[in-house]
Amino acid sequence: MKIRKNNGLLKWVLIIISFIFLAVFLILPLIYIVVSALREGFSAYIASITDEYAVKATLLTLQVTVIAVIVNTIFGIAAAWCLTKFAFKGKKVISTFIDLPVTVSPIIAGLIYVLTFGRQGPIYSILDGWGIQIIFAVPGIVLATIFVTFPFISRELIPVLTAQGTDEEEAAALMGATTLRIFTKVTLPHIKWALLYGAVLCTARAMGEFGAVSVLSGHLRGKTNTLPLYIELLYQGYDFTGAFAASSLLVIMAVIILILRLILEKRGKKELDICK
Amino acid sequence: MGENNEQAYVELKNINKHFKDFHASKDVNISIPKGRLVALLGPSGSGKTTILRMIAGLEQPDSGEIIIDGRVVNNVPGSERGIGFVFQNYALFRYMTVYDNIAFGLRVKKVPENEIKDRVMELLSLISCEGLEKRYPSELSGGQRQRVAFARALAPNPQILLLDEPFAAIDAKVRLELRTWLREMITKLHITSIFVTHDQDEAIEVADDIIVTNLGRVEQAGTPRELYSDPATPFVARFIGNSIPVKNFDRFNFFEKKNNSVTAIVRPEFVSVFKKGENLRYPKSSEEAVVEDIIFRGSNLEIRVRLHDNLLSSVRSINEPAISVGEKVDVFIYRLFVIDGDDISLVSNRTLNAESVVI
Repeated sequence: MKIRKNNGLLKWVLIIISFIFLAVFLILPLIYIVVSALREGFSAYIASITDEYAVKATLLTLQVTVIAVIVNTIFGIAAAWCLTKFAFKGKKVISTFIDLPVTVSPIIAGLIYVLTFGRQGPIYSILDGWGIQIIFAVPGIVLATIFVTFPFISRELIPVLTAQGTDEEEAAALMGATTLRIFTKVTLPHIKWALLYGAVLCTARAMGEFGAVSVLSGHLRGKTNTLPLYIELLYQGYDFTGAFAASSLLVIMAVIILILRLILEKRGKKELDICK
Repeated sequence: MGENNEQAYVELKNINKHFKDFHASKDVNISIPKGRLVALLGPSGSGKTTILRMIAGLEQPDSGEIIIDGRVVNNVPGSERGIGFVFQNYALFRYMTVYDNIAFGLRVKKVPENEIKDRVMELLSLISCEGLEKRYPSELSGGQRQRVAFARALAPNPQILLLDEPFAAIDAKVRLELRTWLREMITKLHITSIFVTHDQDEAIEVADDIIVTNLGRVEQAGTPRELYSDPATPFVARFIGNSIPVKNFDRFNFFEKKNNSVTAIVRPEFVSVFKKGENLRYPKSSEEAVVEDIIFRGSNLEIRVRLHDNLLSSVRSINEPAISVGEKVDVFIYRLFVIDGDDISLVSNRTLNAESVVI
């Protein structure tokens, strides 16, 4: 599409600006991570990433991420479903509250959990009586991660469900289909790609979460240190090779997620074209 | 419809429905005999779709009774009312093939798969869509989608078929074909059918009976002919036919004021336009007017003439002697609808009455 003459120059200026921006802010730092991680040789790198605490931190990160994504998938579908298919009072309020974690600083998210579940909190004595510890333990980290990532899936689903309307569900319901059947046969095929895409975004955010987790974790090495926290710990201890090696793990996980995202986007778009 | 004594199959009694502050149905009373094809006709926002959705159980009335086959169904879910529903945009399941779409209602009812196959194939041949069973809705034309939606609604053998603006999403040419097709199909199946439309031509052509709605009320129910020749309210007179309002009909020859009302409605078929020198049947009561506009309608011409400050319309055959704009012509008005508040009455030209007396 040609909207004006001589747009060749403008095009190249924009491309160059974008490229320089990406290079300075993204590609250079990434290269620097790899270079720093390998500075003391490949064996030192391997030693760093196979370090007992590094492995534990990675496993904890994966564990927390999986739990957060599962919980948020269920919550996200429920929230998106109820916000788009039903009319009720307080709908706007719920819709606004879902976005809260995006606007609130993660540190604050961490602090509110400390206040709620910590020693001065109202629920502490009850939980303590049952022997459940949340603050400075894995449940706290999971809670913080869920809080920070919970808008991602519902926000992907809401536009898709809104665009679809309620006609198909009504048609199915009029033929006597149960809610479960309507969901699996009519709604789910429609939101499948958006759901996976939301889950990918949620995973990426959950893996990298630092602020909220930092407040709640207590930084017990090998117990409550997630990968981002572990990296910070090494960095503060001037172990740059270790820090960058651990960072490279996080980068590799992020790249895998990025590729998944690309594939999903492409397939989802293809199917959307077919089923317009 | 209300007058004849046929047993009502679908009946709405004193139905009221609000959407927040909006009064969508006001004391609606409807009675539809078995096997009829009925149109709910009205402008947008007149409450016709609300009535349809309440019959289907997709909306609950605030008060009043919905009766199907002698049973009050207010608390019966839509899926147990024996209803097939065709949505305005068809609402075909877009991730299912045509086959699965039509089979859906049967699978829900746990009909054996071989019976489902027979029924789907039977319906596909009924709607002349054999061979399309593996297609997805997005791969169908508008007309095919409509027919598939029709087949899907019919698959579980409903007693009542409800259609919400069934032709709205189809282009004009196909729409005409589909109207005829749907009418034939429903007549053949003899299924009680109710469809919603805002298009009077569609309602008149397709329906046995028409229920005219306006501002949440039922204005009139009757056959197309009844609505046309005997409108019960000024709204129906204005809405049906090509109705032209007239402000001062008492100035026309041989029409008199009635109860101080001087407003009336004239339809093109109530008016004849004669070229000067043409043989006039009623020379005394004709009046001279000037042609303001001539619109070519293909099979005929619409002649617009100015008479006593009113612009009247008349239809003239293209075989008659040509008339041109600005020409002086003789105009004869046979009859008109006089509007007096909420009342309406048909008034004929007195010359006609006099003549019938003489004969």
